[in-house]
Amino acid sequence: MKKKSLWLIMFTAFMLVLAACTTSTGNEGSEGENSDSEAEATEENGGEKVLRMNNGEEPTSLNPPVGFDSVSWNVLNNLMEGLTRLGKDDMPQPAMAEDWEVSDDGKTYTFKLREDANWSNGDPVTAEDFVYAWKQLLNPETGSSAAFLGYFIEGGEAYNSGNGSVDDVAVQAVDEKTFEVTLTSPTNYFLHVVSNPAFFPVNKEVAEENPEWYAEADSFVANGPFKLESWTHDKEMVFAKNEEYWDSDTVSLDKVHWAMVNDVNTEYQMFESDELDVTEIPSDMADQLIDGDNVVIEEQAGLYFYRFNVTQEPFQNKKIRKAFALAINQEDIVNYVTKNKEKAAKAFVSPGFTTPSGEDFRDVNGDLVNFDPERAKQLLEEGMEEEGYDELPPVTLTYNTDEQHKAIAETMQNMFSENLGVDVELANTEWNVFLEDQKSLNLQFSRSSFIFDYGDPINFLESFVTDSSMNRTGWSNEAYDNLISQAKQETDEEKRWEMMYEAEKILAEEMPIFPIHYYNQVYIYKDDVKDIVRHPVGYLELKWADIQQ
Amino acid sequence: MLGYILKRFAIMAVTLWIIVTLTFVLMVTLPGSPLNEERTTNETVQANLEAHYNLDEPYYIQYLLYIKSIVTFDFGPSIKQPTESVNDLLGRGFPISFELGIVTIVVAVISGIILGIFAALKHNGIIDYLAMTIAVLGISIPNFVLATMLIQVFAVYWGILPAATWSSPVHMIMPTIALATGPMAIIARLTRSTMLEVLTQDYIKMARAKGLKPWKVIIKHALKNALMPVVTITGTLLAGILTGTFVIEQIFGIPGMGKYFVESINQRDYPVIMGTTVFYSAFLILMLFLVDVAYGLLDPRIKLHNKGGE
Repeated sequence: MKKKSLWLIMFTAFMLVLAACTTSTGNEGSEGENSDSEAEATEENGGEKVLRMNNGEEPTSLNPPVGFDSVSWNVLNNLMEGLTRLGKDDMPQPAMAEDWEVSDDGKTYTFKLREDANWSNGDPVTAEDFVYAWKQLLNPETGSSAAFLGYFIEGGEAYNSGNGSVDDVAVQAVDEKTFEVTLTSPTNYFLHVVSNPAFFPVNKEVAEENPEWYAEADSFVANGPFKLESWTHDKEMVFAKNEEYWDSDTVSLDKVHWAMVNDVNTEYQMFESDELDVTEIPSDMADQLIDGDNVVIEEQAGLYFYRFNVTQEPFQNKKIRKAFALAINQEDIVNYVTKNKEKAAKAFVSPGFTTPSGEDFRDVNGDLVNFDPERAKQLLEEGMEEEGYDELPPVTLTYNTDEQHKAIAETMQNMFSENLGVDVELANTEWNVFLEDQKSLNLQFSRSSFIFDYGDPINFLESFVTDSSMNRTGWSNEAYDNLISQAKQETDEEKRWEMMYEAEKILAEEMPIFPIHYYNQVYIYKDDVKDIVRHPVGYLELKWADIQQ
Repeated sequence: MLGYILKRFAIMAVTLWIIVTLTFVLMVTLPGSPLNEERTTNETVQANLEAHYNLDEPYYIQYLLYIKSIVTFDFGPSIKQPTESVNDLLGRGFPISFELGIVTIVVAVISGIILGIFAALKHNGIIDYLAMTIAVLGISIPNFVLATMLIQVFAVYWGILPAATWSSPVHMIMPTIALATGPMAIIARLTRSTMLEVLTQDYIKMARAKGLKPWKVIIKHALKNALMPVVTITGTLLAGILTGTFVIEQIFGIPGMGKYFVESINQRDYPVIMGTTVFYSAFLILMLFLVDVAYGLLDPRIKLHNKGGE
């Protein structure tokens, strides 16, 4: 036992030394004293303001046209900048472009780039850099999943699908600081679209010399509020304020440290032990934490929903589909199952899309799918009669394996049994298998989610036109298809929004899918962290973030 | 001896080939694809990507390409992290997993053996019960529970250790404890039972009768024989721990290679699946070989060239 106790003594001694170290730097480590210890920490770094974030994991790619996931684009949105950037009000503001003109037909945009827009290596940001990047996005060889965003551009879809030439893509550098793009149809929300990281410029000179310029900190050239100071793959990234940035006076933070810890529980524990300034809430602690002081709940445009497969019995019948939809009490699901303060979804397009007259799409079109067990039962009877069913064919509800999805699915199973008297079987499969089955219409009734890529309801609504790869219900409706294609061509905004209202009503009437809840983003911030901006559609903004006592 | 080693290496190569073949068959029969995204890209892009990763080739060609990649030990780029090659991922993750693994094994073996010896010497005494209680707890508490508890106590309540990430030796303390406890418990129990058996042997009585000092009897005579099963189990533990453990690395945010075993399969990242499987199998086979060699050194009764003929 002697050796054992020696080991114990050494361990204890080690702990004591560590404890001594932390005390001497004034880091109290106790809860409630956070602002105090933060002050000390800041001082220690020579008065630098350092924000400590967690990105979860390594970005897939920091090449703007390729990333297309939040782990890449939340990072990239702060290192680089497109023609526009979403402001604190979630509306596009001048960024790399200081000014723009739109032609009378609404199709040609001429962007005037800032004279003082520079890359972190001192090169000017030129129109050519945008042309280079956008063509790379659409290049079928790039294989970017975000390429569909470039289909707004004339010749974009043809080039990307191998039917057109790169020369026919209507993007052009008129002169060094003038960039012109022609769209297939007037797209009023195009200024919002170009704030997306897929449309960020790429320093052509750097990229031609080193095609993998984005893979390491040394070769990375930034044109945004921060530059990439260091990057230890899989471990951490450090941002430093980019002095070359045109608006660097606005940027308050000196540094941003990014950890890559892919475990929300640990992330929360790191926050508690003052190693991070921001954390998400572990799902099993939502109950205790969601009402806390520094919890910030913000909307995220998107929908958690279920898809019926209208090619499989009994869901070829509209009334039966509606019966299932109306039997679900969405309020109960968000209040007692997810407990994350999401809004229950009583329609499809999430709140936050402003109409031409300044209202909210959601308020204008109202609630379309309201929980109504009586009506549900009645619809089920009518539907079964229409189909000549004495007994409802067996229904299997499938979700991809995950605790949260399971909890919701089990609640729904319960609601179907209680409100409809229907016993639904539950099944779950691993994500990749699930996705493949759903796409090939093998699933009868399955879970889904949608997160908006750009700030217009059409992004979601167009998913359900006939044969869209996002449709995955087998549902096809001529009136719906027409409305969507007309809306995409319509120049009159009022009319365009009318068409979208109409389209959403058709979805509710036909019910190929039904809504559960809209998404939100919930974070806990340290007391002294100010002005981190998260948009309902878009990516994290640290440009205005600050640390104040 | 040389003949034996050559023979063993030939068998190892065949074993590896069988593993690779089985992995390939399982991989292609698994539904789903690395290019399966929520939003389907258009057909041309899909075709380009398939061609780029040779997914459009018939299976036997793909298989031969894999064999080639294994022979040259160049697994090509990861499909999900296109800027990284599989070699990069392994080259970056393995040293970290290895470092943590070595420390873990050393801690587990030393503390396990010590615990086991004392338990055996004080058989049915308080120390024995205490040691075995620790061992049972160590085996039955899953390491991820232990890990979370450690973080909660040492980082959150006391604030004396960093909760996670990987940048200094201090960051190693908790993951090491979390990882070492289970193996330590196994080794302690094993050492105890073999020690108990060995201690009743005639040659131990003989040694004692000759008036040797008690500790000398334990160290020189008893322990050497009691260690055989420990060596066996350490070999297999080594391969598992040194190549990284998914859960512990995830909880502590350690950039080791453990996650690639799980994530590559979830994402159907074929080159990474192949890379990790081959790497792990080769490592495991090598460890088993070293265990056999260690037998020969520990116990002259085991003659390697005889065994090789099996």
